[in-house]
Amino acid sequence: MTEKTVYEHWRESGLSRRDFMKFCGLLSGMMGLEFLPPVKAFGAVAGPDPAGLVAEALTSKPRLPLIWLELQDCAGCTEAISRSQSPSLVNLVLNKIAVDYQETLMSAAGFQAEAAMRGTMEKYKGQYVLVVEGSPSVDANGVYCTIGGRSNLNILREAAAGAAAIIATGNCAAFGGIPKAKPNPTGARGVGEIITDKPIVNIPGCPAIPEVTTGTIAHFLVMGALPKTDSLKRPLTFYGHAIHDHCLRRPFYDAGKYAGAFDDSGARAGHCLYKLGCKGPTTYNACASLKWEQGLSYPVQSGHPCLGCSEPNFWDGGGFYVGQSAPLERPTVAAVGIAAGAGVALGAALAGTNAARKRKAEKAETAGPKESSE
Amino acid sequence: MKTQSAINTYVKEIGGWAASQLEACTRCGLCADACHFYQATGNPEYTPVWKTEPLRRAYEQRFTIAGRLKLAVGLDKPVTDEDLKHWSTIVYEACTLCNKCAMVCPMGIQLGPLIHDVRSGMAAAGVVPGDLVAATMKQKDVGSPLGVTDKTWAERMEWIGDEWEVKIPMDVQSADTLVVFTSIELMKFPDNIAAIAKIMDKAGEKWTTSSKGREVVNFGYFEADEELTKLFLSRVFDAAKELGVKRIMISECGHAYDAFRWTAANIMDMPKNVAITHIAQVMHDFWKAGRIRLKKGAYDDGTVTFHDSCKIQRRGGIIKEPREILKWLAPSSFKEMTPNKEQALCCGGGGGVISIQEADPLRFAVFGMKVDQMKEIGAKSVCMVCSNCRLQFTEGVAHFGSDVKVRGLSEMVSQALE
Amino acid sequence: MDWTEILQFFRGSFFKISLLVFVGGMTYRLVRILLLGWPRDRVKSRGSKATGVVKTYLKGLLVLPFIPWVKRTFNKNALTYIAGGLFHLSLVLVIFFATPHMLVWKSLLGFGWPTLSFPVSDWLAAIGIIALIVLLINRLTHPVLKLLTRSPLWLNWTLVFLPFVTGYAMTHHMLFRYEVLFGLHMITVDVLLIWIPLGRISHFLFYFFSRTIHGAQAGKRAVTP
Repeated sequence: MTEKTVYEHWRESGLSRRDFMKFCGLLSGMMGLEFLPPVKAFGAVAGPDPAGLVAEALTSKPRLPLIWLELQDCAGCTEAISRSQSPSLVNLVLNKIAVDYQETLMSAAGFQAEAAMRGTMEKYKGQYVLVVEGSPSVDANGVYCTIGGRSNLNILREAAAGAAAIIATGNCAAFGGIPKAKPNPTGARGVGEIITDKPIVNIPGCPAIPEVTTGTIAHFLVMGALPKTDSLKRPLTFYGHAIHDHCLRRPFYDAGKYAGAFDDSGARAGHCLYKLGCKGPTTYNACASLKWEQGLSYPVQSGHPCLGCSEPNFWDGGGFYVGQSAPLERPTVAAVGIAAGAGVALGAALAGTNAARKRKAEKAETAGPKESSE
Repeated sequence: MKTQSAINTYVKEIGGWAASQLEACTRCGLCADACHFYQATGNPEYTPVWKTEPLRRAYEQRFTIAGRLKLAVGLDKPVTDEDLKHWSTIVYEACTLCNKCAMVCPMGIQLGPLIHDVRSGMAAAGVVPGDLVAATMKQKDVGSPLGVTDKTWAERMEWIGDEWEVKIPMDVQSADTLVVFTSIELMKFPDNIAAIAKIMDKAGEKWTTSSKGREVVNFGYFEADEELTKLFLSRVFDAAKELGVKRIMISECGHAYDAFRWTAANIMDMPKNVAITHIAQVMHDFWKAGRIRLKKGAYDDGTVTFHDSCKIQRRGGIIKEPREILKWLAPSSFKEMTPNKEQALCCGGGGGVISIQEADPLRFAVFGMKVDQMKEIGAKSVCMVCSNCRLQFTEGVAHFGSDVKVRGLSEMVSQALE
Repeated sequence: MDWTEILQFFRGSFFKISLLVFVGGMTYRLVRILLLGWPRDRVKSRGSKATGVVKTYLKGLLVLPFIPWVKRTFNKNALTYIAGGLFHLSLVLVIFFATPHMLVWKSLLGFGWPTLSFPVSDWLAAIGIIALIVLLINRLTHPVLKLLTRSPLWLNWTLVFLPFVTGYAMTHHMLFRYEVLFGLHMITVDVLLIWIPLGRISHFLFYFFSRTIHGAQAGKRAVTP
């Protein structure tokens, strides 16, 4: 039994070819296809038409089997996706091009849902995409997060074993997220630290920008591989620039005009939020370019400093409202006191030996310096 | 071993005062241009802080962890016999302890006193220029670095009294002021002694000299040998106690004022209730109190300038007193040299340098700068309140063929007494 | 090792350690000097020591930076005075009054203060860098400085120079990604913090000893310091 292609599914739901081509254009734009070297290479052969490329892929490929696991999560990444405003791209990707097991969104529950997942895993072994949301927890053999009586580690390993690729969406799945914040009581980790033998891409963010997650999923469908990533395994298309690099308040940063407090005159004038703790300079994400809610806005634009939520350990990143330049760890007053005490002790010890030396020298001199020989 | 003796001296003497200043130095090198020896010769080894190098090594290599480590791994050198000899020449012949360097140092480090400390190690090790040792031994054995015996002193004083027709009281019990002269004045500038005697008499001061405490110069201080310094000081102190005076007045001498006024109390017990003062201060006080009257404009016969002696002005504070007198004596001819007061340029003969023959080329090279200073303002005469400076000036102007007249201020004052 | 991880380490636990080493080290230096023996001065003063001390500090703060030629040696050493002065000015102003640094102090002390505008602190940093280079060349060529300088001093220069250039490069996003430059800046700052108690950079502590001693001895003699 051959699977129907995406295009076939599309037509069956009553959408026109015109709509389909528009969708392909949008999708390719969203994937940033024209900027990726493999596409350029491909374009040399198949023509410089990214939208056409997408169309070709969706016309020839069957819908993508996709399993979406949620471990130690808040479902925020799912919420972000499902609450997108318009009958969006996001919806289309998830409904039209991917068959999913999604705990939050699917209507099935309990054993039925588990059976559905098992079915997908067996039928599409080696072909399905595993999307993970929420962090695995390793302490005490994973007992802090269990689903249906099984530990999250077992579930994850089993699902990953038959996956073609893994997409870790949200900071929790990518780097450990909020469960990993000090003192990390459950032993939270990024998925990539647990599963090391499968291709994996991280889509960090808190939540991840919906279009970035779905764009990456679409990329896998269209290109048959995960997109090119940076050293933290984040797709370069979306995570290649820091917020700072595309920030609309950047001219104010460059001119040194900062908001000093929330709702002060500087804040109201749209000045840079550096002093309020904006982590823009070290945060790589598409917030400032792609923005949220289909380009409506992003935190800095709306007046709140960037939290750095697409970076590892951002919850322990020094404090959301503490300057980005500030140290991440500060010695306590007690520690400083102890250090000073150690200095005093060492100084006193030296003073002791120095005083002894002086006495010895004094004795040596009064004992007849010109006669003594050494 | 000689060097060990020097090091022991440094080790026992270095306290927080010296150590904190040795640590404060940033090696900026600005002190070089404050030193007249460096200015005259361009030799970088005359940089004041370089002169303290043996002291720094002894301190760091024994009192600090970093210093000990540096020595252990070869990043710093120990003090050797050769080093001691080498630095001995530098600190005794190319330094007058004028302390101009301290004025320039951005950290304010008291390099002069620190170099004095360096000398003390040399003295303990016996690595001191021969001429200086000879003079010191003469003072120890005979009572004067020039070898003036008790007999010669008494005879000479008598002669001065006769020649200048002044009374010079000797060993007067319960006088108020004990005046102590220098051998240099006695032998080279006897007119000074006469002048001071005249001033004291005119002011009606109950004063005396002492046959036992007759030498105010302190070659132990030049050598920086603490025992000898104390010995020479005690000769005068004992005399003061014996005679029951209220104060000791240093005649025209610089380092003696430094030794008595600013050093003695910290190295020995001083006689109780005996003040230390200097002729420059005393004659000014007499004049201000009306005890002596001076003829105004007595010296308006050509530009006259004042040479600030390092130990009396910069290191002693008696700065405005001589000037007030001079401005009265030469209201239209007194001109200051540049620089002056506490910034003044050293004559180059102090600190014992003048007594070391080997150092002659150096001290004359430095004196060339004084000649230029006087030429700059067209000075016809120069006066001062230190006989060592006066000797240096006298020999210096002769060396350079300059026709500037060299005077002592006391001598000028005594001539202008009304 | 990723540069983000490197950055987090040198901004985090290693910074904490560096700061503690700095505190402990400077305390040790201070205590060692204080306990070396400070005999009482038994000489009677002619003037006031306290006045001398006040005068010398005021002179150093209010007079000399603005009319340095008051010191006669200025003309012979204009380069050292000007470059050295500008370097120290840049150092102090950038460390305390550049916005990113003020935020560091704020996180350590709990309170902040108004800062210089970015172009001003930027120019100051550039001036500081140029001054450092000038001072290095001077130290390499001046006969007095060549005689006086031993190996630790070259390290002093380098460890002070590196935070300046990495900070400047960071602000201007030069050459590398921001977190790389930030990481380099923090590495150099941490190393500097550890090195300071070990050498002559700690002169900023001993300055107060030597300056006070200088003022006191001048005041004692009633001489202008």
